[in-house]
Amino acid sequence: MAYRVAACTLSGLLVTASTTAADLATYPKFEGAHLDQGRSLWLENCEGCHGYGIAGAPVPMKPADWRPRLAKGKAVLYAHAINGFFGPEDTMMPERGGNPELSDTQVKAAVDYMTALAAHYIRQER
Amino acid sequence: MKHLRNTVLGLGVAASAIALTTAIAGTDAGSTPSISPKAMADALHLVMDSDRTIYTRKIVNRLVAKDKVITASEHFEDDKALVLPAQMFRFGSELVAKRAEDMPDVNFSYSLQSLWPVNKQNAPKTEAEKTGLKYVADNKGQNYYTEETLGGKKYFTAVYADVGVAPVCVSCHNEHKDSPRRDFKLGDVMGGVVIRIPLES
Repeated sequence: MAYRVAACTLSGLLVTASTTAADLATYPKFEGAHLDQGRSLWLENCEGCHGYGIAGAPVPMKPADWRPRLAKGKAVLYAHAINGFFGPEDTMMPERGGNPELSDTQVKAAVDYMTALAAHYIRQER
Repeated sequence: MKHLRNTVLGLGVAASAIALTTAIAGTDAGSTPSISPKAMADALHLVMDSDRTIYTRKIVNRLVAKDKVITASEHFEDDKALVLPAQMFRFGSELVAKRAEDMPDVNFSYSLQSLWPVNKQNAPKTEAEKTGLKYVADNKGQNYYTEETLGGKKYFTAVYADVGVAPVCVSCHNEHKDSPRRDFKLGDVMGGVVIRIPLES
């Protein structure tokens, strides 16, 4: 997807380096250890779908995807991420992002990073 | 790019436009090439992917995961269950190949393949397939397009990533006794759709 197009035809090492750089630009770090942990968890467990809109996953780089979701409030978003959620079009958010080993605290940290990321892109749009 | 994107509105739209032109002009426009192989492959994939997405969401997600009234299983006949979305896709490609035998103007094929196939028959065979499957796995979100010559005939070949979108996709591949890879995560590229269109009649 256009959000994180790296120099894909380069050698493996350069691809890795450019992908990392693209990740930092696309998925910036935010202040605080909590959001640092959330970012790591999000990249490991959530980015595979939410980074690309796979299976209807809302993309945090798209303000239109996230404005209505942020409006639901954190408690609802935490509950959807922890328990799973079926969208109105029968899209499915699997519980704990499909990783049953994640604790509630870890899922919430990943949600906190994703909402911070969405808010970041909404601010950039203004 | 914008022109290409506009061109790829969908096979139905393209077919309607061609039919309309024929009706208006009264010519053989329906047999005149007017769409690039890439646009044709993209349109075909758009239809396939949309059908599969709807099956996954409106049938499997709704009945299996949400309403819990039936299961979906690789062994759907024995288990009296729904076919898995990937199986439905594969059955479709097999039926297309069979029906196309009686349609000399329909010269394309498609298949679901993987570098880590549960069934070895679904491993890539040509260099283009191998390169394309690796490319879409390494460059998520991008498609792979190339030309290849097979049996003295030139083809346009497109490869589109196939992503594990539900926990059952991942768990089945990770736990299947015949699976050569067992570390898939949700959202990983697990294979690819290969579409091949001949470039000469």
